[in-house]
Amino acid sequence: MSGHYRAETVLGQFVNELEETFIAIILGLMTIITFINVVLRYGFNTGLIWGLEMTSFLFAWLVLFGVSYAVKVTAHLGVDAVINVVPPNVRRVLVLTSVAVCVAYAALLMKGAWDYWANFANLPQTTGRWFPTGLEEMKRTSYRGWYEVVDIPFPEWLRWIQPIMNEGEDYEKIPRFIPYAMLPFGVALLLFRFIQAGVRIWRGQADSLIVSHEAEDAVDDVAHMNRGD
Amino acid sequence: MEVAILFGMVIGLMLIGVPIAVSLGFSSTIFLLVLSDTSLGSIAQSFFQAMAGHYTLLAIPFFILASSFMSTGGVARRIIRFSIAIVGHFPGGLAIAGVFACMLFAALSGSSPATVVAIGSIVIAGMRQVGYSKDFAAGVIANAGTLGILIPPSIVMVVYASATDVSVGRMFLAGVIPGLLAGTMLMLTIYIIAKIRDLPKGEWKGWGEVFEAGREAGWGLFLIVIILGGIYGGIFTPTEAAAVAAVYAFFIASFVYRDMGPLAGKDGAPNLPLVRKPIALITAFFHKDTKDTVFEAGKLTVTLMFIIANALILKHVLTDEQIPQSIAAAMLDAGFGPVVFLIIVNVILLIGGQFMEPSGLIVIVAPLVFPIAIELGIDPIHLGIIMVVNMEIGMITPPVGLNLFVTSGVAGMPMMRVVRAALPFLAVLFVFLIMVTYIPWLSTWLPTTFMGPEIITR
Repeated sequence: MSGHYRAETVLGQFVNELEETFIAIILGLMTIITFINVVLRYGFNTGLIWGLEMTSFLFAWLVLFGVSYAVKVTAHLGVDAVINVVPPNVRRVLVLTSVAVCVAYAALLMKGAWDYWANFANLPQTTGRWFPTGLEEMKRTSYRGWYEVVDIPFPEWLRWIQPIMNEGEDYEKIPRFIPYAMLPFGVALLLFRFIQAGVRIWRGQADSLIVSHEAEDAVDDVAHMNRGD
Repeated sequence: MEVAILFGMVIGLMLIGVPIAVSLGFSSTIFLLVLSDTSLGSIAQSFFQAMAGHYTLLAIPFFILASSFMSTGGVARRIIRFSIAIVGHFPGGLAIAGVFACMLFAALSGSSPATVVAIGSIVIAGMRQVGYSKDFAAGVIANAGTLGILIPPSIVMVVYASATDVSVGRMFLAGVIPGLLAGTMLMLTIYIIAKIRDLPKGEWKGWGEVFEAGREAGWGLFLIVIILGGIYGGIFTPTEAAAVAAVYAFFIASFVYRDMGPLAGKDGAPNLPLVRKPIALITAFFHKDTKDTVFEAGKLTVTLMFIIANALILKHVLTDEQIPQSIAAAMLDAGFGPVVFLIIVNVILLIGGQFMEPSGLIVIVAPLVFPIAIELGIDPIHLGIIMVVNMEIGMITPPVGLNLFVTSGVAGMPMMRVVRAALPFLAVLFVFLIMVTYIPWLSTWLPTTFMGPEIITR
């Protein structure tokens, strides 16, 4: 059961505004880039060669960044048929169990996200299969900051990262660690929001992690139109 | 055996209230770590690639955006006016117009709950005013609302196409005839009930009203022409068509309908024409309404894609373990033919469709049944339409169909009353399901005619 989300503190409102704006900007950019490419193809017989790759990365950014926001405002879809019919104390146990599962999921994914990103960011991966047991030793071949994406050209104003990441050599395309950075960042936020949601439920300020369908808010908005018989 | 544990775990987690996406992702991750030598790093990679590596799925955010622009504006109201102008004068006219409006709205939006909310809230109130019972009104809308995922463009079809590598264009075309058929069957049923029970009919307001209402609604409905015409004319890929549709919908909502954005009248004031405020051409892009609509579409994309991305990890498990192939072999050994297989698919989806968001369900079930269907010689497009129709019906099948919940919220009625109200029309849709399942050409004729015979690769 969702409600409209309202931030309580000034910081909360600021962060909320930031998250919503970022989500809107990413989707807006994806749409505009794709649209401009169509116009360029038919109007000017040309195109942005990097348009498709850029849109794909933005799509990944949208989802990776947005999942944590969706946890915060309780927008993730789930099945509430069972938890709605059991007595409140049973419900509480079930919901807290589900929070534990979510935290475990985000923690596993966090290790994976770090390992995958570190691979391209000249950083050590973690050892261990299930849990990070330590950091791998950096060998000469572990420095893979030189890996580039396929199409997106390297912008001039980013040249200052070359000495840090690529031993001063020029990048032609943007290096992979830039688009992939959203993976550990987004998953870390997800882990944080799941823990936060868990605390809220533990304290009794919320009673579920899920909504049963995507139009729940919209239904609340129109419910007044058909009250009574 | 492992499969049973895997699916048991997914379903068990879902039932205790774990988000669908996490149920899928967590179970698959545990499975991959225990049974294979896949590392967590490569699971994270496939999660990233779910978005960055699937060009077809990229159409989803754009379709969602187009339909949010369309549903924030007064499109629903205009479509309803147009529908009433056309079919309102028949016996049971307003109910028939409700179905017709749902069909039109379904062509603008890819989601069933959204259709019920947009059309249902207005039509149910209108029907009660002219003397229909609330139950009848709710029953009609609950059923007609499910057409949202069958009439193209449909997000569920994009997901099916992506999961099984069939063409999105073919799937969209394949949905046209079944969509029209289902709508017609519902409208005929209402007509017959209206004749017997002597339900109210509206008055014929003349062709003037039809044209006037049609011109108003036409701006919105032209979206379908862009999408379908663009794809079949070979002008756009489905993804591009969706992006163009989103931009078009933005312009229509901000500058033609003007129910949102800088030209919208505040507090009941009439909407401004563009000539009175030309600066709106620039400010519309940064207006709060625009940002809010894009953000809402983004949020919906996130929740859907989170499910799909995790379902793709599950798909990875299934293909790794060769599970569909072994099920197919077992079924063929047991001597099951296409008919029995399709019944099994029907049952799985009817049950699944009750609990789960359709796109997530299709990513899981499609890779499982697709190879079997190909072995049995069932057309992939036909299979896709069967799956979509099944989920449609799953959404209104008691005890827990999603559309029943939405309708019960919109109509302010308890669940059980909605269930009873929806039953007669549900029976009609069941007949429709049987027709779609066992008459393949309903789905395959249109795509084959327009796009040539299909090449099936195993």
